[in-house]
Amino acid sequence: MGAESLAGGEPSTVEQLIDRQKLAAPIKTAVDKFQLVPEFLKVRGLVKQHLDSFNYFVNIGIKKIVRANDRIASTVDPSIYIRFKDVRIGTPTVVVDGVSDKLAPHTCRLSDMTYTAPILVDIEYIQGSNDQKYRREKRDISIGRMPVMLRSQCCVLYGKDEAELAKLGECPLDPGGYFVVKGTEKVILIQEQLSKNRIIIDTDKKGNLTASVMSSTEATKSKTVIVMEKGKMYLSLNQFTTKIPIMVVMKAMGIESDQEVVQMLGRDPRYSALLLPSLEECASLDIFTQEKALKYLDNKKDGRALSILRDIFLANVPVHNNNLRPKCIYVAVMLRRMMEAILNKDAMDDKDYVGNKRLELSGQLISLLFEDLFKTMITEVERQIDYGLTKKVRSSQSDPSQYLLRDSISNGLERALSTGNWDVKRFRMNRKGVTQVLARLSFIGSLGYLTKIMPQFEKSRKVSGPRALQPSQWGMLCPCDTPEGEACGLVKNLALMTHVTTDEEDGPLISLCYCLGVEDLELLSGEELHTPNSFLVMFNGLILGKHRRPQHFAHAMRKLRRACKIGEFVSIFVNEKQRVVYIASDGGRVCRPLVIADKGISRVKEHHMKELLDGVRTFDDFLREGLIEYLDVNEENNALISLYEGETTPETTHIEIEPFTILGVIAGLIPYPHHNQSPRNTYQCAMGKQAMGNIAYNQLCRMDTLLYLLVYPQRPLLTTRTIELVGYDKLGAGQNATVAVMSYSGYDIEDAIVMNKSSLDRGFGRCIVMKKASCIMNRRYDSGASDRIVRPRGLDKDRERILDVDGLAAPGQIIRPNDIYINKESPTETRDHKSAEALADMKYRPSMQSHKGPEGESCVVDRVALSTDKNNNMCIKLIIRHTRRPELGDKFSSRHGQKGVCGTIIQQEDFPFSERGICPDLIMNPHGFPSRMTVGKMIELLGSKAGVSCGRFHYGSAFGEPSGHADKVDAISETLVRHGFSYNGKDMIYSGITGCPLQAYIFMGPIYYQKLKHMVLDKMHARGMGPRVMLTRQPTEGRARNGGLRVGEMERDCLIAYGASMLIFERLMLSSDPFEVQVCEACGLLGYYNHKLRSAFCSTCKNGDNIATMKLPYACKLLIQELQSMNIVPRLKLQEA
Amino acid sequence: MEERSYQRKPVVKIREMKDDYMKFELRNTDASVANALRRVMIAEVPTVAIDLVEIEVNSSVLNDEFIAHRLGLIPLTSERAMSMRFSRDCDACDGDGQCEYCSVEFHLRAKCVVDQTLDVTSKDLLSSDHTVVPVDFNEIAGDETSEQKGVMIVKLRRGQELRLRAIARKGIGKDHAKWSPAATVTFMYEPEININEDMMARLSLEDKQSIVESSPTKVFDIDPTTQQVVVVDAEAYTYDDEVIKKLESMGKTGLIDIKAKEDSFIFTVETTGAVKASQLVLNAIEILKQKLDAVRLSDDTVEADDQFGELGAHMRGG
Repeated sequence: MGAESLAGGEPSTVEQLIDRQKLAAPIKTAVDKFQLVPEFLKVRGLVKQHLDSFNYFVNIGIKKIVRANDRIASTVDPSIYIRFKDVRIGTPTVVVDGVSDKLAPHTCRLSDMTYTAPILVDIEYIQGSNDQKYRREKRDISIGRMPVMLRSQCCVLYGKDEAELAKLGECPLDPGGYFVVKGTEKVILIQEQLSKNRIIIDTDKKGNLTASVMSSTEATKSKTVIVMEKGKMYLSLNQFTTKIPIMVVMKAMGIESDQEVVQMLGRDPRYSALLLPSLEECASLDIFTQEKALKYLDNKKDGRALSILRDIFLANVPVHNNNLRPKCIYVAVMLRRMMEAILNKDAMDDKDYVGNKRLELSGQLISLLFEDLFKTMITEVERQIDYGLTKKVRSSQSDPSQYLLRDSISNGLERALSTGNWDVKRFRMNRKGVTQVLARLSFIGSLGYLTKIMPQFEKSRKVSGPRALQPSQWGMLCPCDTPEGEACGLVKNLALMTHVTTDEEDGPLISLCYCLGVEDLELLSGEELHTPNSFLVMFNGLILGKHRRPQHFAHAMRKLRRACKIGEFVSIFVNEKQRVVYIASDGGRVCRPLVIADKGISRVKEHHMKELLDGVRTFDDFLREGLIEYLDVNEENNALISLYEGETTPETTHIEIEPFTILGVIAGLIPYPHHNQSPRNTYQCAMGKQAMGNIAYNQLCRMDTLLYLLVYPQRPLLTTRTIELVGYDKLGAGQNATVAVMSYSGYDIEDAIVMNKSSLDRGFGRCIVMKKASCIMNRRYDSGASDRIVRPRGLDKDRERILDVDGLAAPGQIIRPNDIYINKESPTETRDHKSAEALADMKYRPSMQSHKGPEGESCVVDRVALSTDKNNNMCIKLIIRHTRRPELGDKFSSRHGQKGVCGTIIQQEDFPFSERGICPDLIMNPHGFPSRMTVGKMIELLGSKAGVSCGRFHYGSAFGEPSGHADKVDAISETLVRHGFSYNGKDMIYSGITGCPLQAYIFMGPIYYQKLKHMVLDKMHARGMGPRVMLTRQPTEGRARNGGLRVGEMERDCLIAYGASMLIFERLMLSSDPFEVQVCEACGLLGYYNHKLRSAFCSTCKNGDNIATMKLPYACKLLIQELQSMNIVPRLKLQEA
Repeated sequence: MEERSYQRKPVVKIREMKDDYMKFELRNTDASVANALRRVMIAEVPTVAIDLVEIEVNSSVLNDEFIAHRLGLIPLTSERAMSMRFSRDCDACDGDGQCEYCSVEFHLRAKCVVDQTLDVTSKDLLSSDHTVVPVDFNEIAGDETSEQKGVMIVKLRRGQELRLRAIARKGIGKDHAKWSPAATVTFMYEPEININEDMMARLSLEDKQSIVESSPTKVFDIDPTTQQVVVVDAEAYTYDDEVIKKLESMGKTGLIDIKAKEDSFIFTVETTGAVKASQLVLNAIEILKQKLDAVRLSDDTVEADDQFGELGAHMRGG
């Protein structure tokens, strides 16, 4: 594909290329595997993680939850019960006046609804009472409504083609993966957490070595920590208030003999030596039997020690028939790992290692929420049934199924999604900000939301470890895309080809392991566990047993995976250091596809790729035939992955598909990012999200509160493969501007850019800002009256100018500040109910809505939409549009983190021109280059210049030069020379003012420029007189309130240092809150002025003799009075000045 | 003071002339004059362009301002523009576009009633004045057969409609680029290339070849008969110094000497089609003259005579 597209313009070079290839390639050339990337994205989609996770919940997760809690039985009469036989999510519908109607997501966006589908259950229940009981069945009973993720399996958009999507008002390029809740689009961010059920060896705050396990099962969640203090091991568990010597715990679990513990640890005498202090401590406590140990523990926790050990301590290890032996072995393994870590510091676990992390996706989060709500509903229904039975109602035909129809599940889900507060008491979970509004600033920005990963830590922690770039992030998480500032390095983004796994059924896998020769734990003695010739086998953090031929076992498992006999995301990782084979099938691991190589020879051959291009082979076929497999971060450690096919050695096991896939969606927009200084790419990742452009194909049918659109967006002349893959070439956010890198006019210092007025006249950087104004008509007040819209009465002709006869502003009308756009009237009496006659002659007061905007800005009413909200109130929405051309101070940026404001706008005739007649659109100061080191931008300029000359889009994919996905500078220069330009991209330029040639050659060519959303018009602010805050009588704060400009502490310091005391006096008092007070010189308290008697009076001294009048800031007077109210008496002592 | 005239007699030689394209030499003058001519052509030659749009119905996908902006940028034939009035100076009307001296009215009515998309182009603009109409590019290209439909304004789907009234007014490019009649106006200094024949004769053929190839544009070639490096197209030279650098690296500095002639310019003028290229140059000269007259006749000039001395006299035609 790459070679083919190269063929575009220049047949001569391609011929050379082919010849050279034929001659220089004695064996065969590397297979171009690029085509796998689009194929992967076609199969998996950009946000497949979210969709997969939600689909898993809908298909499997929800069924599991319901099956686990499928019976509601009355406590009064246990024979009366409801049993859930099946559960499923229906198709999204809306119930209007009792009739359910199909629902499309765009309808929800427009009319502020939630995009939900009913949760349908099949039930079996007993109807009747004591004597007469019938078993009844009901199908398709709705127990609530589930918000539906767009493009998931239960969404109406699932599997629709472009035309069908357009019919539903949906943009085909929109990736889905979010919810529509009350009309706003909400994303459940990917949450990053430490893996559950895994042993993590780390040090705590005091520097003590710890081994911790976060246990998480369906029933309980707990954290078990074994800590080493002064050479002795202790267990620290939340349920016990103090630390417990570990040997006591072992004894309490039935391992009474010290020797057995030592055997479990393994033969190495160093281990037993390290355990000795703990053994001695246990002996000093005089605990030798299980009984004594339990008694000791019971003292710590009133008699529940055994149940704590059984149910909470290491809850992930299952206990059958009170057999605690597996737990003992687990503890022994933990101790062993700790001791290894003491002897060898390398054995410590790195918490920041991506393999120790799990990503929690929307499906898992919703599943937690649903489980909680479902259980709450069950208890509620149970209570209702009992109440119904005890009440002894005469209608003995009471139907328990009627109690199921409750809104609690629907409301709970909707509330959590719209607020983002995951408050699940049952699982001791209290998270805020789980969901975010999907901001539609730019297409790329909204894509970015769907790949964003939120950290589990507090953002304020000032540690560098979790923020640093981890080598294990390679290919999984984007190395560029992270915000600046406090969340830097904590908030991450997925790379292009990353997949996040979902849970997989573990039963068959476990039995498979046993079939492949894993020796069962139950059958092994402690001694046998750690024999030197065998490896432990751990499955999802659980010890299965041991295996004598670990490599053989791993190989067999992998072979089964490649043959698709087990799930493709199961990871098999042989840890030689720990002598453990880890098998993982749990959800939330990140993994990515890689080409399998045998002895360094790629399994993907040319004919495979050809079949792919011809469309007879899909990505899944590659997986099914074992040409490609998914590796997670841990298994990558067992692989030797070569970057290119040509670089393989016989040890190579895998080959990368394409190197540029290590970057994410947003960093993928940068051309030649590998030539830039790294922080520049990070800056661009933040700025690309603020760039204006096209939002979606349905952008003009949307009713967003704020929408920025570019009038003439273009696709970049210098593209990357990622740009084509994500559709940025169809929904661009910028324009190709001819840039001259030179200094001009002095208005270009500090990154300011000089713009050509004619370019602006012709539409460069022109944008449309759409704002929403909305109003809800209250249908029914308590009095029975409702709001109404009336036709303009002609009372205020000027302000009613844009109203239609229906009382609403007409689309297309120019709206000015203070113009009325909804002529609404509200009833004067809204309280108690009124009779029909009273309603008929109800008085109404005007409550019209008028446009608030800056004076002199002429906006246009774009659209008026009427809809009904869920309370059946009419809701009127107006979109007000404003077209803006760039002006001084508007912010622009290239794709290389080089932002700048427009410094001046200059006539075209004054602009420099080349003898070909090329005149730049903007001028950028060359000082922007040396310190930023954005070489990529220079190559972009060269490449775009060559591109416009020869008529072919050039490519600049990351690390793309060797594979032909980025044009080389040499080739670009050749193209330039062929079209009569200098090879270095510089042109001879004449000054537009004098007509003389400039002394230097000017680097000039097209660069893709983005207009950022920060515009002067929205920010500029000044005020003289204006509003004041009522309490302090000081000027208000902020532009929105027309606030004053504050002379802050530092500005004040300057004035003090300068000695401008009168200026300080003026600024801090006279221009702020001067107030005249009467002070009693006798008592020092404030008096007042009696206007009737025209004299001042001190209310404390009860006279007006010693009153002085002075000026004080009102805030000071307020402070004095507030202090007085707290029984503190501030007294003023006055002196003549 | 001795009366001395700085007056020069510039010469214009036309090399190539088409309706929308012209190339000419301007000799015996300096950069200020050449540049003044270029600047006037870009910014001050008046044309007619749509300036006011009254939209009656617009159910197209593009909004009103968008369409108005696009209409403004459509070039209209403006031969009459020089004799028209600016609507702000018009005595006959108050600038609402009703009078014939300062404005031209256009109407556009388009509605799509079929299933195919309907292209609304500049051809759909109906003018009230046959001298001011949207530029027909087929006519310029001399290509009557091709189905070029003019400048695209908007595409309509079934049921969409666009109905508007537009008023075109006279204006200059300084106010808005839509009034600029020039697509490209540029000039270059005529290069003067001298080859030192003696030194050249001593070079080997490979060296000569490498000199010829060092220039990105085809300026030099080797004469097939004499085997000498000759200048084939001096104007193809882009002042890129590549040849000079090449010679320096060969240690043959001075073999070829390139200078820009300070008093000869080669102009390239391309128009939007609003006026003919030749007319554009003539209009520009006319306006330049008017501007000079304005300077010469203004009171300030007489007052400033003392300061400018003979220059003032020169400007008054002395």
